[in-house]
Amino acid sequence: MEVKVEGGEEFANKSYEKICQDTFRDVGVRSSLDYAYMYCNPKEYVFIIAVKIGRVPSPVKIGDVTLRAGKDELKITEERHAPRLLAMLWDKYGERVQQRARLVVGLELEEEEVERLKDLIVYDPREDLVLRILDGIDRILPEGARVRTSIPSTAANIITIIASENPIGVEWEKKAEKMIGEVKGHV
Amino acid sequence: MYKIMMFTGGVYRFNELKELVEDIGGFVLQEMVMQTETMMHLAFPEEEERKIRAKATDLGGKLKELPLAGAEVMVVVPSLGKHHAVYPMCDIAEFLRRTGAITNMMGLARGVGKRIAQMTTQEKAIIEECDAAVFVFGDFKECIEEKAVKLCEMMEVPYMIVGGPPDLDLEHYVGGVGRKTDRMKRKAEIDKLEEMTTEFEQVLDDKRKEIEEDPLAASPLFIKEMIEMVLPPKAGEELPIVIHLDGLRVKIEEEDEERIKDIEIGERKLSEICEIKKSLYEGYLLKILTEAETGSVF
Repeated sequence: MEVKVEGGEEFANKSYEKICQDTFRDVGVRSSLDYAYMYCNPKEYVFIIAVKIGRVPSPVKIGDVTLRAGKDELKITEERHAPRLLAMLWDKYGERVQQRARLVVGLELEEEEVERLKDLIVYDPREDLVLRILDGIDRILPEGARVRTSIPSTAANIITIIASENPIGVEWEKKAEKMIGEVKGHV
Repeated sequence: MYKIMMFTGGVYRFNELKELVEDIGGFVLQEMVMQTETMMHLAFPEEEERKIRAKATDLGGKLKELPLAGAEVMVVVPSLGKHHAVYPMCDIAEFLRRTGAITNMMGLARGVGKRIAQMTTQEKAIIEECDAAVFVFGDFKECIEEKAVKLCEMMEVPYMIVGGPPDLDLEHYVGGVGRKTDRMKRKAEIDKLEEMTTEFEQVLDDKRKEIEEDPLAASPLFIKEMIEMVLPPKAGEELPIVIHLDGLRVKIEEEDEERIKDIEIGERKLSEICEIKKSLYEGYLLKILTEAETGSVF
């Protein structure tokens, strides 16, 4: 992810570049974003941030995070998906699925059912991507800038938020639109 | 004047050091024994430093100066949200503690923003209960300048401002910190924290000099000792008495308030040489009056 911050003084810009990088990493979306462009105007207390969503990892299937261990057992290879996976299997098959050990799932299923099960989606990163990006943006923008508005963009993959402590005027919406133009053109 | 130092070393014969401190009219402020290691904060008359140093060398321990010892400091941030806590406020508080200060942390209710930043009178009163305050602000010059006027300048206790922009024309300002997303653990950052503590020493020194010019009726260290004789600290209680430069914070139950008032300090009662009031934050505050007001206690 590339980050560009402008408008503030040199120290503030550098600091906010790091804040953007670290915060998006913390919420787990850094690899899904192409470009983040932030404009700070501490004098008027207006902050604009526009992010371009890039390639999002493909959905995680049961086959990707488990290994077949014997005829009636699955071994979970990525523990972070375990709760979601178990909940899903219990929902679908009820008592025919048991958790035999922390990472071992026992199955009382027909062979073709097990084969079909491997293609079920455990987690789709697209599902909560926007939510996580918005959470990241909320952590980046100064806390005092509570008046917020978003600018819809024709390209669905750009999220733009304007934040201030004062009513947001048309000039800032125009500035945000200009920024969207730049973000769109960024390769 | 008392000098406060920290001793660290083994438990072997460390009682001898304690006895020596008591013999020369000093006090043990804090003591912590961790298996075979000990840590003690000692206060003793300045002129006896050589004796203490000799004893510490004899015991194979180390002595470290604590320039901020004897002061309770409030670290103030605009809010306790992710934006200001935990970094860098905890790093700052940690470095103040390493040099002897007792620190408290406080997030303001409405301290965020530029135009909308404000402080309630109760918050101001709580901060002023401490000896000094450290305000930790963010990255923008304009915000810090406005907040310095709105939040800091009305303070009646000495204060320091820590912020982002490296050069700002404000009194007791340390720049180069600003908003952080991780711990300040790199060499340059640690140097910055040390620079900050040195600046803070100056802030406190001004207050110390003021007190020296018009000395207190009795030293807070001496009063602490006398209170502990009447109300010994309960097991496991941490810092029941916090020393201030010109008083103490005593964490006691309400029913003990009368007992505290009657404690004899020399020929006087504690209530005669101290202003006692309930703290808005924790315990009771004892503000020691000056000797000029009370006359000699002996």
